[in-house]
Amino acid sequence: MGGKSEPAKSESMATTTTSPDLINSSFFSFKSLKLKTKQQELLLRIAILGLVYILAFIARLFSVLRYESMIHEFDPYFNYRTTLFLTEKGFYEFWNWFDSESWYPLGRIIGGTLYPGLMVTAALIYWALRFLRFFVHIREVCVLTAPFFASNTTLVAYFFGKEIWDTGAGLVAAVLIAICPGYISRSVAGSYDNEAVAIFALLLTFYLFVKAVNTGSLAWALGSAFGYFYMVSAWGGYVFIINLVPLYVLVLLITGRYSMRLYIAYNCMYILGMLLAMQIRFVGFQHVQSGEHMGAMGVFLLMQVFYFLDWVKYQLNDTKLFQTFLRITVTSAILVGGIALGVGTASGYISPWTGRFYSLLDPTYAKDHIPIIASVSEHQPTAWSSFMFDYHILLFLFPAGLYFCFKRLSDATIFIVMYGLTSLYFAGVMVRLILVATPAVCLISAIAVSATVKNLTSLLRTKQKVSQTGSTKGAGSSKASSKVTLDQSQPFQKNGAIALLVGVFYLLSRYAIHCTWVTSEAYSSPSIVLAARGAHGNRILFDDYREAYYWLRQNTPTDAKIMSWWDYGYQITAMGNRTVIVDNNTWNNTHIATVGRAMSSNEDEAYEIMRSLDVNYVLVVFGGVTGYSSDDINKFLWMVRIGGGVFPVIKEPDYLVNGEFRVDKGASPKMLNCLMYKLCYYRFGELTTEYGKPPGYDRARGGEIGNKDIKLEHLEEAYTTSNWIVRIYRVKPPTNRL
Amino acid sequence: MAPRSDSQTVATGSGVSDGSDQSSIDPIFHLLRILPFSFLRPPRLRLKIPSFTLPSPMTVYALILLTYFLVVSGFVYDVIVEPPGIGSTQDPVTGTIRPVVFMSGRVNGQYIIEGLSSGFMFVLGGIGIVMLDLALDKNKAKSVKASYAVAGVSSIVIGYVMSFWRKQTTGREHSRIPRRSKTVNGTVLRHDEPFSLLSVPAS
Repeated sequence: MGGKSEPAKSESMATTTTSPDLINSSFFSFKSLKLKTKQQELLLRIAILGLVYILAFIARLFSVLRYESMIHEFDPYFNYRTTLFLTEKGFYEFWNWFDSESWYPLGRIIGGTLYPGLMVTAALIYWALRFLRFFVHIREVCVLTAPFFASNTTLVAYFFGKEIWDTGAGLVAAVLIAICPGYISRSVAGSYDNEAVAIFALLLTFYLFVKAVNTGSLAWALGSAFGYFYMVSAWGGYVFIINLVPLYVLVLLITGRYSMRLYIAYNCMYILGMLLAMQIRFVGFQHVQSGEHMGAMGVFLLMQVFYFLDWVKYQLNDTKLFQTFLRITVTSAILVGGIALGVGTASGYISPWTGRFYSLLDPTYAKDHIPIIASVSEHQPTAWSSFMFDYHILLFLFPAGLYFCFKRLSDATIFIVMYGLTSLYFAGVMVRLILVATPAVCLISAIAVSATVKNLTSLLRTKQKVSQTGSTKGAGSSKASSKVTLDQSQPFQKNGAIALLVGVFYLLSRYAIHCTWVTSEAYSSPSIVLAARGAHGNRILFDDYREAYYWLRQNTPTDAKIMSWWDYGYQITAMGNRTVIVDNNTWNNTHIATVGRAMSSNEDEAYEIMRSLDVNYVLVVFGGVTGYSSDDINKFLWMVRIGGGVFPVIKEPDYLVNGEFRVDKGASPKMLNCLMYKLCYYRFGELTTEYGKPPGYDRARGGEIGNKDIKLEHLEEAYTTSNWIVRIYRVKPPTNRL
Repeated sequence: MAPRSDSQTVATGSGVSDGSDQSSIDPIFHLLRILPFSFLRPPRLRLKIPSFTLPSPMTVYALILLTYFLVVSGFVYDVIVEPPGIGSTQDPVTGTIRPVVFMSGRVNGQYIIEGLSSGFMFVLGGIGIVMLDLALDKNKAKSVKASYAVAGVSSIVIGYVMSFWRKQTTGREHSRIPRRSKTVNGTVLRHDEPFSLLSVPAS
């Protein structure tokens, strides 16, 4: 009760004195439990934050309750496998790990090609729990890492909102970000991916940097440098920070807000952050060598020029001379910088922007040049429906929040406006980046909500203030109007304000309902277990993927090599524990193109390629029996395109008929004879999939297949799962005697 | 350097030779004085180096609102994917072509007009909230404040109803459920509905 022992500063509202010394009071009455307003407010704030923390955690647990505690999707399986390795073998083995179980026969230097932040975080939590004698399995820790860090993000959002606007905005921001679908989509329980930790690190870095700019303290700047280090260790999206912060500094310089605080904050963060970032092997020397990081260096040098000019101005008392000096210095600085950049780029020391980030600036680039990037559905540009789905009410509140920020410009509000705009633009270019924009949208919307509610409640409170000299009713016109009209409009204003407040609460409640529905229906599927509605509305689960991987684990020799499309590589190594040819890392385009070529050639050519790669088993995913539309036949054209990009013998028009992709009788002959077709539809012609349809009716494509009588010469069927989703074939050794 | 000498010549009017009265330490200026400008006569211009003034915050806000409208309407999607302005289906009974406003079947797809109108509704709702705040500003006449309040509330209501009401009443089962897996979205196939498997399997 009571809590802090603060000096008894009373507010203008009603106060009651507490009796802190219970021993002296003669009787224990409830009056002694009444808190001062400040303490009430503190209690309310802590209670709200506590509830928001719990809410953010439990909102993400739908899939754990419906299915089981397992890792979702594809990439998290790689992260899980590496975390397992880290906890079993220790940090040095992990840091120097060369994996020979993927990308056969090339192998992969895992220690040098991953972002270790997520794995190290999960391992630390695991070791901390074990130290406290909670012997949990590492998988449970991995599954629940994302919701835990989402809860922490809400706390950081509260402090950030408090820094930008006030505590009310902070609280609203915490609530909004706890349930926002844009964030939930990548941080449900089981989604053990880099973004789970990275969004927390991003927001923390930004908060610490804004705090450093506001206070000018070296300690906060140091904190932001370490926050940046955590972000660099966690996600490749750190490039956003290293470009947004210099852009923000540039905008501050242009708007004439240069100050010593900014100088201290940026310098400390840039230099220390850069040095710390170089400790991550994957990043290496990119901060001085890569074109994406040159903006930060340029702004760093510009800051030094500004400081120098400021010092010279202080020394010189002659303005005219200073003007000349200013002009010469600025011109020569820009010239020197430009020449250095030119020399660096021309000599090849500074590498140009990589395709992944260049396609953000020029969205048409990936479509023409890099089919692997263009084939991922997350990388498509965003339609308005995706925005609405992920943001709902926040799309209204965002422009209003921008207005309030512009009304009260300060260093902090300029930052949040820039963060919001740049991240929203990138979210428009690529669907996946809606996640990065979510904290900014939530914060700015929180400002709008907080300011509007504050305005409306101040209307409700004006009755008390009218009794004082109406000094707050500013201009002369309203003062000149007699008190009678003021009193007449009072109840109308109050009723209006109450009605509008009810409206605000209605909007926010609809937002909460929408978020809960979206989380439950759309973002809580593990995508390794498929669900469908049965004939009577009951839920049917297809666990075919895990069935196939465990069959591989138990029924194949330990050194068997599996060829499949790159989507399934991580899952096969993690759950099947077998060597794969290509996996989701997609670092070697030629290797993937070789697999693509094998899948699109006829059986004899494919057999040659498979013998050259030492393949023992081939795995394909087929959705014709269940109607599953994300199977390999639907992805087949991407295999052709990627294969054709490296081997010109594969031509996409050969597989199409009049520009259309068909699998029925009218399909092109090359399509009917390719390996993928044969492996997917082997023995499918005898199966009746739907009542009233002929045998061999493909439910995913909606047609009867063309070639029902398939004979395999060099492969034999090893296993087909119970719903025919995953099919595994064994590669036969070459015949001994012909 | 060069700009300085130009302003000096403008100030004095006639040829360059008069303008070099003030001693200049600029060697290029002297060089230029001798070489081309001893026989060339620069015209008398009234040019000023344009001064750069920062726009007011509200101007910037207006521009930003325009950019927000474009982004949220899915402008980048329109530029890259180039969907038609509006969809069309053929009525199976009568054979007439009817327009289809909302693209169905794809989770992340839109027609151009659909995107622009939705973006406009969002901006309208946002401006409604802004007008509400302007209505509560104390320095205006009462009638102005009242009209701002009414306009603000009506904008918010219209924007909300147009954007979100349809999703509530037409039922959640038919709305699009996105799948954020790494797999590809259907490219040239006919049936690429999202994997909800609400169709009845063979019984």
